[in-house]
Parts: sequence; structure tokens; C-alpha cells
Amino acid sequence: MKKRRTSETAASTEILEKPESLWRSMWDSLKENRAAMISLFVIAALVLIAVTTAIFPKILPYDPYDQDLSQAKLWPSPAHICGTDQNGRDIFARILVGTQISLSVGLAAVTISLVIGVVLGAIAGYRGGKIDAVIMRFMDIMLSIPSILLAIAFMAALGKGIDKAVIAIGLVSIPEYARIVRSQILSVKENDYVQAARVIGDKDGRIIFRHILPNVTSSIVVRATLGISSAVLDTAALGFLGLGVQPPLAEWGDMLGRARGMILQFPYMLIFPGLAITITVLAFNLLGDGLRDALDPKSRKN
Amino acid sequence: MFKYTVKRILQLIPVLLGVSIIVFLIMRVFSPDPAGVVLGQHATPDAMQAWRQENGLNDPIWLQYWNFLIDALRGDLGTSYYTHSPVTQEIASRFPATVELAICAIILASVFGVLLGVISSVKKNSLADHASMILALIGVSMPIFWSGMLMIILFSGTWHLLPSSGRIDPMLQPVGGTGLYLIDTLFSGDFEAFGNALQHLILPTVALSLYSMAIITRMTRSSMLETLDQDYIRTAEAKGLTRGRVVQHHALRNAMIPVTTVIGLQFGSLLGGAVLTETVFAWPGIGKYTVECILKSDFPVVQGVVLLIAVIFVLLNLVVDIIYAFLDPRIKYAKKEG
Amino acid sequence: MKRGSFMKKSKKLLALALATAMVGASMVGCGSSRAGSSTSGTTSGSQMADTITFAQGADPRGLDPAYVDDGESAKIMCNIYEGLLKYNKDSTEVEPCLAKSWDISDDGLTYTFHLQEGVKFQDGTDFNADAVKKSIDRQLEPNRSSDMPYASFVYGAEADNTGVKAVKVVDTNTVEIDLRSANTAFLKNMAMCMAAPIVSPTALEKNKGNLNEAPCGTGPYTFVSWNKGQSVVLKKNDNYWDKDNAAKTENIVFRFIAENAARVTALNNGEVDVIDGIDDTVVPTIQDAGNKIFNEDGMTINYMAYNTKSDTFKNAAARKAVNEAINVPELVKALYGDYASVANSVMPTFMAPYDTDIQQTQYDPEKAKTDLAAAGVTKIKMLTYTNPRPYNTKGGQQLAETIKGYLDKVGVDCEIDAYDWTTYKQKIETESYDVAFYGWTGDNGDPDNFMNLLADKTVSMNIARYDDFTYRALIQKGIATKDGADRDAVYKQCEQMVADQNVWLLISHSKNLCGYNSKVQGFYYHQTGITPFAGVTKTK
Repeated sequence: MKKRRTSETAASTEILEKPESLWRSMWDSLKENRAAMISLFVIAALVLIAVTTAIFPKILPYDPYDQDLSQAKLWPSPAHICGTDQNGRDIFARILVGTQISLSVGLAAVTISLVIGVVLGAIAGYRGGKIDAVIMRFMDIMLSIPSILLAIAFMAALGKGIDKAVIAIGLVSIPEYARIVRSQILSVKENDYVQAARVIGDKDGRIIFRHILPNVTSSIVVRATLGISSAVLDTAALGFLGLGVQPPLAEWGDMLGRARGMILQFPYMLIFPGLAITITVLAFNLLGDGLRDALDPKSRKN
Repeated sequence: MFKYTVKRILQLIPVLLGVSIIVFLIMRVFSPDPAGVVLGQHATPDAMQAWRQENGLNDPIWLQYWNFLIDALRGDLGTSYYTHSPVTQEIASRFPATVELAICAIILASVFGVLLGVISSVKKNSLADHASMILALIGVSMPIFWSGMLMIILFSGTWHLLPSSGRIDPMLQPVGGTGLYLIDTLFSGDFEAFGNALQHLILPTVALSLYSMAIITRMTRSSMLETLDQDYIRTAEAKGLTRGRVVQHHALRNAMIPVTTVIGLQFGSLLGGAVLTETVFAWPGIGKYTVECILKSDFPVVQGVVLLIAVIFVLLNLVVDIIYAFLDPRIKYAKKEG
Repeated sequence: MKRGSFMKKSKKLLALALATAMVGASMVGCGSSRAGSSTSGTTSGSQMADTITFAQGADPRGLDPAYVDDGESAKIMCNIYEGLLKYNKDSTEVEPCLAKSWDISDDGLTYTFHLQEGVKFQDGTDFNADAVKKSIDRQLEPNRSSDMPYASFVYGAEADNTGVKAVKVVDTNTVEIDLRSANTAFLKNMAMCMAAPIVSPTALEKNKGNLNEAPCGTGPYTFVSWNKGQSVVLKKNDNYWDKDNAAKTENIVFRFIAENAARVTALNNGEVDVIDGIDDTVVPTIQDAGNKIFNEDGMTINYMAYNTKSDTFKNAAARKAVNEAINVPELVKALYGDYASVANSVMPTFMAPYDTDIQQTQYDPEKAKTDLAAAGVTKIKMLTYTNPRPYNTKGGQQLAETIKGYLDKVGVDCEIDAYDWTTYKQKIETESYDVAFYGWTGDNGDPDNFMNLLADKTVSMNIARYDDFTYRALIQKGIATKDGADRDAVYKQCEQMVADQNVWLLISHSKNLCGYNSKVQGFYYHQTGITPFAGVTKTK
């Protein structure tokens, strides 16, 4: 008996090691993907901008919140490379500061949906039966309402604010994660090592966390990376509809929403914040694609 | 097959009940009180109280839900707080606009998406492949409201080529009929109106289809690549068939199976995208209207619209699954669930 | 073989698409014609266009004057309906309309209206005293329903001992209205576009008492159709009673285009002829395209209210100090350009010419710093709305941000909470705030309609929560005093109190800003925010 147990433990350590080697091989193949490396570089730059402007706001050419009505609505020039907005604030400075909000909302929202989604999906997939049916039916319910409408309704109910935007965006994408995790778990559940762990009497939680989750990490990582890009888009959409952050915070979608009435007269107010959103989303999409290719041996061949 | 369909339709019931409960909770428990806005700038506390009483908003929430449910089962979704019109009528007058836009967008997205996907898979790593992949990536990365506004600036504001808002010149508007103006004007032979409706459709359709087009392109490409890599394709090629014939006769058909699913699912997500597109292009559909009603706390309308969208979404999924099953006989209905 | 089956599959997909289309189709039925086909071509040969299109930001709420409260509805309704009285084209003075003359009893409680004869509603029903009675009676207690937004304002309430006690039919062409208490503004109310217009009693009966979607009045235009979210089409009323003021253009189309930029594009591309709801930034674009700008005073006030019950601002000196810190003329210029005027009084001066010598607190940032320090103001919580409003086309968020910009400079820290309008209306009652943004759109052109706000007990009207015995007494005196120098003096005193006590920071009076095609003649936007189209023409 004892011997068998040690051998089992050995087997599971082996499995635990597998993800680590997975990371390594993933990184190796990611390194060869030029687009993914560029996107990684862009993301690093965005993070750097967000962190630097948060810690040393003085580094910015202008205070993004300082209004000067005599300098309002200036076209791009060497002094203001992206022009100034209706309150005379430097648009470039506001775009730089805007990375803080977009990235943090993106990350935080994904964390919420990831954690809740993974837990729900894991329980549903592992336990099966009635619990599975209840959880997944609930996910179906959430999926059958367009997420943007659901997020708008949440925001209208909760009121404006970053924290609320994070919750609204985080909540509406829970089902995607839950579905992925559940289907992955269903496919690993019947594997020998999981069966073995069950036979030796490991607790469910332990089995899920030690044996099953590490094996579904790769698809979750891909999904989460792409999730950040859709969270950034959703944040912008809420801001555009006037439901995003509280003023005077600089948020890209909010900047677009405010420029709405003036797009013919001052198109630059629309172009630059929109570019910032597109670049950020593009970077996360490229990275997500790169990660998927890196993790999926089948597509690696292509 | 029949049993499977019935079972899936029966599963609709708990989903719709759940959807209605969620919407009910969000709107009636957490959303702001509509009385002040419904009664306008002269609203007094007494008048607001009387209004809430008359509209049952002072009842306990479960009773409100019960009343809503009973009425809904009889086909009565209530009347809009704001316009006093029946919700069914409010929805019916706007729904065709959204349907027309979504159908045009999905057709555009499918045609171009599949075309680009096939080209880039057949000519892998060519300039065409890279160009369409980059296009597809940008397509999924641009906020829909941003690309929409850029199009307005260029095509309407600067070049004056296309109208930026609305569905048709009101004086050319077809009366009665399906509410889908392209079809109505074609059937009545009113080509001037048809042309006018088509012009109005172009910008919103393109803006709405970009995202789906990008997804379909990518899906088609990867699915084609996978299929082209299969043994039987290689065999076919080894037998001396031309590349074109192989692609057309063998690869495309099999590669289309997952693409069909994606197209079906995209149609559902188009309904979500329509919310933003309709706002930007002043398209008189239910997406824009729902946002307005959410913001005005017009509870009956929001409840009605979300239920309708959920029904469509679930039915679409069902149709997609059935088609998928048709295309791929390996799937067994019994195991397809969740 | 394989190809054939693929084709079959794609046919199936096509069938699916068509099936989805048919779902939409089956909801409506079949057989279609054109909205404009019945009328097009009737004026062919003439120099005048037969259709003028006006684009506004939203659908009307409805087209029954008893059930709506919004400007979008008023602009359409004023072409379909008429009241007993109407406003002068250039002011808020009242003139005869469906009533050709009227007498007021000495105690100001009985109004006798002598009606025009031979007038018919658009559905052929005769206009007479009975129609007037039915139109008003449905809005009096106990017939009044809780969702008639203007019924209590125009016709009063029993509990407050205000408004109309009874409407009596004296004979076919004479109607007598008895008031519960004297109200000098009553005549002006009778010219309003909300609640006051006379509607066809036959139509009321046919439509279960609600004409929101089947309007029928005596006005120069007849309702044709309303496509929700798109347009309302009106056509000329050929049997209109007042030949001098009859419609000159065959069709008037109201289109609903929410986006300002899209509305401007539609005007510049010739899709529509007149647009409103624009701000100063688009004026050059409109003019460059060869279109014209209509720019006249509007009957509004845009203000920031101090919460006189809050710890910070119960002290009048603190309110004054903040007012000193804000450069209102610069702010108005920056936000609204030349298309709003700096407010020096609560009422726009065209309504109350006596207001011109009222002086508000002057901008003086240095003095503000010392005064703010003396009053101990360091931190302010602001509540504002996000949507554009008729009195503030830029929306409350932008306005609050700009004011915050000024207060930053004098060392006061502001926290802004911005909410969507629906939420905002609730938050001003439930949430604590130091200052809140608001505004008012005049209803009837009477000074009481503006000055009464600061005497109102309803928080959503009096968001400054101003509660002053002297002020209330003045308001009560004003409403019962007959028009003339005495009454003017009362309201001037009210204005002076607002200025002295700095209850509000007065910001601006909006202007009604429209863009129109240079081929359009005779277009005007009345101060009360309505667009009568009877005299408007467009050359081809």
C-alpha cells in the first residue's frame, strides 16, 4: 500500500512539472513569433507608460487635468502633438495617462471573470450532475443577453466609476471562462492520473487544484490575454456611451464620447484616442494569438 | 433528431425564466426610479408617489415579477412608461431595422470573410495572406464606434458620398410590408426608394460587419489549413488533381463545418454590436432604443427587449447546432449538451 | 457530387437567412406603398419645394399635449394643435388664437373666452365650447391620471387651492373657466404647447383618451405618420380656418438623428433642410457648406446651485467666495462660444427687461482666495448630470469640470460625481452634496415660472434647498398681482435677493441655435422652444 502511494505521488509530481516545461516550450516558440514579440514589446511599453505616469506624473509634458480655456481646441502642433481638447487639456498627456485606466480595468476585470469563471467551471466540470446543470444553465442565461447590454444595465444601475466598470465588465465575461474550464476538465477528468488520485482518496479541491487546473492553464492563459483586449474595448464602449469613469479622469472611450459632437470640426480629438485603443487591443490580440500558437502543437507546425 | 430539438426547445424555458429574473432584478431593484423623469420638470413628490403606486412599483418585488410573468405569458409585455405605447408595438416598429442591418452585415461578413480566408490559406505566406491577416487583426481590434465615426467623417462629412444617418428618405418610406425596406421596395418595384435605402445601409453595414468579417476570415483560414493538411487532400493532390479542384471539391466543404458555426454565433454577437452601430449611425433599431430605455429606467421596454433578444439568441444557437449536426454526421445528439 | 452537396449546404444557409427575414416579415404583414406618394407632385410646376425636413435629436415622447413634457414633442405638436391663445411671434405676449377675445373678472377668478366660429378639427369635428371643456376636463382632478406631466402646472391642484375649479359651456362659442385662486400667469398657460392645446373630442373617444399616436387638432398641419426612431410626416391642413396663417408648404417631415455630427452632415449633404440642437463648434462647418444659422435667445437658465442646507454653504459668505473664484464670462465663451449669453439675472432679459441693472458677484480670484480661507472652504462635493440639456448643450459633466478647473486655481479641492439624467434626478434627492448643477426651461414666459423655483418645497425643483420667508412672501404676492409695474417690482426684488445671497451661480441663458438651408425662408424658433412651420417655404 505504502509503496503504491509513493509511486502515485511521484506520478503526480511528474504531472506538476509538466506545466513548467510547458511554459518553457511556450516561451521558446513564442520567441520565434515576430508579431507576438512585437506585441509583447508594445504591451511592455504601455505598462511602462502607465506605471511611470502614475509614479512620476511630472514626467508628462502637460498636466492632463490642467484646464486652460484660452488653449482649448487647438489642432495638433509641435507644442501639443495631439492637439488640445475642449477644456484646453493636452490630448497626448491624457492619452498617456489613459493607459493607467485601460490597463488596470482590463486586468482587474479579467481577474474577476477569470477567478469566478474558473471556480464555477471547475466545480461544474468536476462534480457534474445537478450542480453542473445548475451552473451551466446559469451561464447560458448570462450568455443569452448580449454582454454589452448587460454591462450597460449594470452601469446604469451601479452608477459611473472605474470600480463599477471593472465589476460590470468582469461579471459579463464569466461564462466564457466557465465554459472553457468545464470542457477542458471534462476531457482531463477521465485521465488515468486523476482517476488514480481519486482512488487514493485525495480531496476534491486538491485534485482540482493540483491535478486538473495545471493542465487547463494554457487555454485559460490564451483566453485571458484575449480577454484583456475585449475588456479594453468594453471599457471604451462604456466610456463612449457616457457610462464609464467619473470626470475629470482621462479614459480613452470617454474622450471619444466627448468628441462625438465635434468630429467634423476637430477630427483629431477622435483619431488619437481611437488609435490608442486600437493599438492596445491589437497588441493583446497578437499576443493571445501567439500564445495560442505556441501552446497548440498542431498549429505550431503551420 | 426530433427528440433532440424538442429537448433543446424545452431547455429554453428555464433560460428565459432566468433571463427575465436577472433583468427584473437589475432594473427594478438596482436601477434609478423612473418617476422623476417620466413626470418631467414639474414632478412633485406626491405626483411621483401616485405614479409609482399606479404602476405597481410600490408592490413587493416578487409580486411585481409575478404580475409581469402572468401578463407576459398572455403576450402582454406592458406599456412603455415614457410613451404609453404597448411594448410589443414599440419593439415591432424598431425590430425590422435591426434585422435588416444584421442580415446585411452577416451576409457581407460571410462572403468576404470566407473569400479572404480561402485565399490566404491557399496562398499561405503570400502577400495576400499577410494582408488579409493584418486586415482581420485590425478588424477585431478597432472599436466599432470609432471606425463608424471615421467612416462618417470620410464618406459623409468630407466626400459627401453617402448619408450618415437614418434608414431612408422619409418621403420614400415604404408603408406596411415587412419593415425590411430593401425587400419592401423591391417587391413594390420602387427602385428609387430601393436605391435610397441601400445607400443608407452601406456605412452601418460595413461598420457592423468588420468585426465578424475578421473572425470569419481567421476561422476560415485556420480551418482550411487544417483540412489541407489532411491525408485525403494530399492523396487527392498526389493523384494529380489541380490545386483549384482540390480546394473547391474537397477542402472547402470540410473546412466549412466549423465556419458555419462561427457564422451562426457571429449573428448573435452582431445583435450586441448593433447597440453601438445603431447609436453612431442613428439607425432606428432596437439596439439604440434599448440603451435609451435602460438609461431612462423604462422597465417594461427593457424587460421586453432583453427577453426577445434572448429568445433569438437561444433559437439561433439551436439552429446552428442542428445545421452543424447535419454537416458533420459524427456528432451524436445524445452527447451534445451544455 | 461533392460539389453538389456543398451547394446544397450553402442553399440551406441561404434558406436560414431568408427564414430569419421572414420572422421579421410576418410581424408586420404584407403589401407596401410609399409614405410620401399620396402627396408628391401636387405642387409641381411651382417654384416652391413641396417638402421641408427638420431634423431633431430624438423622437417625440408622444403627440398628445396632455401626456408629454419634452421639447421634441412640442416642436411637432405646435404645428398640429392650437390653444385658445398663442404667443406673439417675437415675444411671450399672448394673442388671440382659437379664442378671438376674452374677459377677466375683477377678482381674477373667472375667465370668459369667446371662441372663433366655423373652425373644424382635422378629422372634421366642429370646434366649439364643448370641445374646449372636454380637452381641459380630462386633465382636471379626478379625471387626471398620474402620468400627465403638465396637468398640475397648467390646471393646478385642489389640495394647493390653485388652478381651474370648473370649465363651463356658456353657449356654443363661449366658455367660462373658473379658477380657485387668482393666477396672473393663467393666460400665458393657455398659450402653452403642453396641456393647453384643444384636441378633437371625437379623436379622444376613438383613441381611448390618448392621442399620443393619433394626434388631431385644429392646426395648419395634419398628422400623416410616425415611424418610431425615424420620422414624423405632416401634411398641409387644406381646411385650415385662418387663411392668413395657413401652411405654405405641402409636407413637413421631422427626422430624428441623435448624433449632433450626423445631423450636421445631413444638413450639409442636403438630406434635411433645418436642424437644431447644435452647439457653437459646428457653426463654421455649417456656414462653409453654404447654410445659414438661426440664433435667438432661448427661455432658459443654466446654473450651479449651492446646497444652502449643507455645512459648507449654509453660510452666504462661503457661497459668495466661490462665486468670486469663477470667471463666468470666460467660461460661457469657452463652453458655448457666441451661442449662449452670460446670465446676469435668473430670467432672460427679454422676459424681464427690468432685470438689466441686477448685478451678480464679480470675478475676483485674489479676493476669492482670502474669502474662501475666511469661510473655511477647502473641499467641495459636486453633483452633476452627464447628458446635454436644453439649457446646457455641453452637458453638466463638462461644465462641472470647467468649474473645477477654476476652483483648483484658488486651492479648493472638488470631487465630481456625474450621473446619467435619470439617476441624477434621484441622487439630488437622496445624496448629500455641496453644489449641484441644474437648469430650467421656461414653460409659459411668466416670471413666476422662473422665480418660483427658489420658493418651491420640492427638492428636485429647488435644488439649492433655499428656504427664505421673505422670498416666499414675495412669490405669493407676485402670482396674484396683475401684470404691470407693481408686479415687475416684486420680481425685481426677488432677483436682487438671489444676487445678494448668492444662492445660485448664474451661468448662462442658452440660445436657440439652428442651421438651415439657404433656400428656406421664414423659419423661426420661438423663444418657448417651438418651431411653427406654417409660414415657412423653400425654393427649389
